Order: sequence, then C-alpha cells, then structure tokens
Amino acid sequence: MKTNDVILQTTAKVVFFIIFLFSIHIFFTGHYAPGGGFVGGLLTTGAIVLLLLAFDLRTIQQILPFNFTIVTAIGLLLALGTAAGSIAFNVPFFTHAFDDFTLPLFGTTSLHTAMLFDSGVYLVVVGSAITIIQSIGGDD
Amino acid sequence: MAFQILLNFFIAVVWMFMTSSLTPSTFIIGYIIGLLMIIMTRRYFRGRLYVWRIWSAIKLTLIFLKELIMSNISVLLLVIKPNLSTIQPMIFALPTELERDWEITLLSSLITLTPGTIVIHVSDDQRTLYVHAIDVDDVDEAIESIKNTFEKAIMEVSRG
Repeated sequence: MKTNDVILQTTAKVVFFIIFLFSIHIFFTGHYAPGGGFVGGLLTTGAIVLLLLAFDLRTIQQILPFNFTIVTAIGLLLALGTAAGSIAFNVPFFTHAFDDFTLPLFGTTSLHTAMLFDSGVYLVVVGSAITIIQSIGGDD
Repeated sequence: MAFQILLNFFIAVVWMFMTSSLTPSTFIIGYIIGLLMIIMTRRYFRGRLYVWRIWSAIKLTLIFLKELIMSNISVLLLVIKPNLSTIQPMIFALPTELERDWEITLLSSLITLTPGTIVIHVSDDQRTLYVHAIDVDDVDEAIESIKNTFEKAIMEVSRG
C-alpha cells in the first residue's frame, strides 16, 4: 500500500542539507577535533540513506548518478597515491608533508597531505556503504 | 518575494563597492538604503512587500509559542488530575485549504508539536489531515481553533 509521505519527504529534503553540511564540517575539522574521513563519510552516507528512506531507489540513482563501486576505487587510489607519493621525495613510504599557506578567504591555513589520505578514506566509506545499501535494497 | 530580497542584497553589494569598504556595517547600511528604495518603488513589484511576509512569519512563531505554552499547561493539568470519566480522546478529520507540500508539513508539525494533538495521517489528495487529540469536547470547535490559528497564519505567510 502506498501512503502519502508528504511530511517525511518535505522534512527529508530540508534535513538532508543540514546533515550533509555537518558531515563536511566533521570531515574538515578531523585534524584538530573529533571527526575525520571515516565519520564524515558515514554521516554523508546517513544523509543519502535518509533520502533513500523518503524516496525510492530509482529516484536517488537519478539524482546521484555515480557508480559507487568506482567511487570506492577512486578513494583507494587516492589513499594509495598519497602514501606512495612520499617515495618520489626519497623519504619512507607514508611520510606526510605539510606547510602553512596564506589562502585568500581562509587566512593562514596549514595544508597537510594527510587531508588527501582522509578524502580517500571518505570516498571509500561513502562508496562501499552506499554500494552495500543499494545492493541489499534493490532486488529488482 | 525572493526577487525583492535578491534585489535588496544586490543594492547592498553595489553600495559596498561604491563606498569601497567591504565591511559588514557598510553592508547593513546599504541594505537599509536598498530597503527604503524598494519601499519607495513598491508599485512596480507584483507581490506584496517582503517585509510584511517576514512580519507574518514572526507572528506565526509567536502564535506557535503561545499555543505551545497554553496546551502544555492544559495537558499538565490533565496529567496531574486525570478525570477518566469525562476525558474523550478521538481521531478527527481536519479539512485543509493548504496546497503546497511545505505548508502541509509546517501545519502538521505545528499541530504535532503542541501537546494534546498529533497528526497521524495525511490523505492521498492532501486535502485532509487526520488528527488525534487527547481530550476533545466538540469536534467542530477543535477544527475551528486549529484553522483560525495555525492555518490562517501559514496562509498569511505563503500568500497574504
């Protein structure tokens, strides 16, 4: 039976942006505060799952037309590439580098290559979690 | 409404570039000047001046806070002194004139957040809300009170 989910759908549309914004915040503060790639990725997954609960699987595949298996692969490549990049500078595998940069809007920011590794973790978490949920949910 | 706010923002940004000081206080001054200009030229806009709509949104918030406090007190009285012989819980249908999705969501959230009433279902054509109430003496009176407070205020915000 199909019931009228107008309240759930309208609320999910609003709450999605709040959760997504919070996941980005958690992702970027990971270096100095609790958070990081894993939690940020899980929160993003949670936001997408909320949309999946409110709408159906086909709608979500239309608005997020990514192949999430490839997203996982890109994340793994990014993490491996960041770790392997240190070899080119004649330092041991997995050695990170950082420096302070003055960016136009952010002021003085310390940019760290651990951030790139973190975005790899983020993409792997989002990709694999959404792949699991889509393959369990979509049985047609 | 959105066009008026965008225009007001644009005027404020132009003011910031004219005075060549990019500070928040310059922005606020430019915004006030832009607001006065929009009030002056209000005949050229199709909709109402957006200030009134913001005012009715504030009024809706105040109505909601008042209803929240009043119905909290009445439910509290019901809890500490329950009168099980006269209490009359019921589910009634509330016909609504609201059409857009966010209006119906807002109305049902406001009804649910005031203690004593809960929206349990929205009909498929979105013309009727089914409301459960803890203690109702008269159905028509309950429907009228919701229609007169929340629905009227929401309609003022969205159309008005």
